[in-house]
Amino acid sequence: MAHIPDGVLSAPVLATGVAVTLAGCAIGLKSLDHDRIPQTAVLSATFFVASLVHFPVGPTSVHLILNGLVGVALGWAAFPAILVALLLQAVLFGFGGLVVLGVNVMNMAAPALVCHFLFRLAARRDSRRVTIAAAGAAGAIGVLLTALMVAASLAFSGKEFIGAAKLTLFAHLPVMAIECVFTAAVVSLLMRVKPEFLGLRSTEAAYA
Amino acid sequence: MRRRLLLATAVLLLPAQAQAHKLKAFATAVGADVSGYAYFSPGGRAQEAEVSVTLPDGTIVAKLQTNDEGEFSFTAKQRADYRILVDGGDGHEATYTIHASELPESLAGASAPTQAAAPAGDKASAAAAPTMATSVSPAEIRAMVEQGLAQQLRPLREQIDAWQEKVWLHDVLGGLGYIIGLAGLAYGFMESRQSRQRREEKSSGSLKEARR
Repeated sequence: MAHIPDGVLSAPVLATGVAVTLAGCAIGLKSLDHDRIPQTAVLSATFFVASLVHFPVGPTSVHLILNGLVGVALGWAAFPAILVALLLQAVLFGFGGLVVLGVNVMNMAAPALVCHFLFRLAARRDSRRVTIAAAGAAGAIGVLLTALMVAASLAFSGKEFIGAAKLTLFAHLPVMAIECVFTAAVVSLLMRVKPEFLGLRSTEAAYA
Repeated sequence: MRRRLLLATAVLLLPAQAQAHKLKAFATAVGADVSGYAYFSPGGRAQEAEVSVTLPDGTIVAKLQTNDEGEFSFTAKQRADYRILVDGGDGHEATYTIHASELPESLAGASAPTQAAAPAGDKASAAAAPTMATSVSPAEIRAMVEQGLAQQLRPLREQIDAWQEKVWLHDVLGGLGYIIGLAGLAYGFMESRQSRQRREEKSSGSLKEARR
């Protein structure tokens, strides 16, 4: 669902996707220093596997995306992490296509980035409860924005927007709920055992 | 709508299975009747998906919807390549083609008339008739054979699909391996760049000391 296959989108949408993805990856790779590489790889792997966990919803079937979690933990590095995971999914499983790879990366990494900044804003309050709530919200928002962007990509390629948006949004409600809980749980665990992983100072965790 | 909501909540209670996600379509022709189904690979059948059947010249023969089992069926009116397109409505699409050769010869061809085959068949059946107790025309035999073959091939094709889904696990492990490998490469590149910088700093520092 979140992976758009080849041959559905129009050329301007494809070009936009490639441009955004290239820019995002350039910034992401620049911001990546070498002690954050293992973390980026772990989240890329998580994202890669998450899309394989899927369940039927009504007439269609959906899968976890976890781009909220990837965004919260990685920031700009979410772009290269998601690019690698999506490339492997396209090559190994035929999820989405190679031509639309740029659009798919954009649709999942841009919401991840939004989640990152929202989470950072909330984490500044130095309250454990607010931070965890923000992580949960990030999990849900990541999926919500991705569903909207998928619908928009289809709409700009001449497909009916309202129908597609309704279908993708409705099917993703359970995914949003699951990712909200999952992301909050992961972040609360990380705050306790390894706050640096989230880019938080360890004192922030001690605060709680 | 309420049914969908119920389904959605019921689904939440199910253990999420680790599965791949792709829309596929599959169809077979038994005589002129074409039946098939759309499904998520691996996963459930695609219900209420739109199915459109087109001829090679682009004319749409039928617009159907899959039922609760993800199944659809239609009857071929002529002997031509039928292209079946299943649209999940959310960007998922799958196609399957029923080739003209899978359909019985008794149907009229799309462009070239297949009339030539029919008289020949009649002649053959006339020749065969005296030797057989009950006269069965070759066309009928062919139809029976086609039907039997289609029935026997179907489970085989389904087995092949099921096998493809098994290979999936190996691909998951392979993909994880790629990610680890890429991370190792990136780590190595950065490490060597940093150690080179360190070496340059050291050498420039020793030069300064030498000047002193």
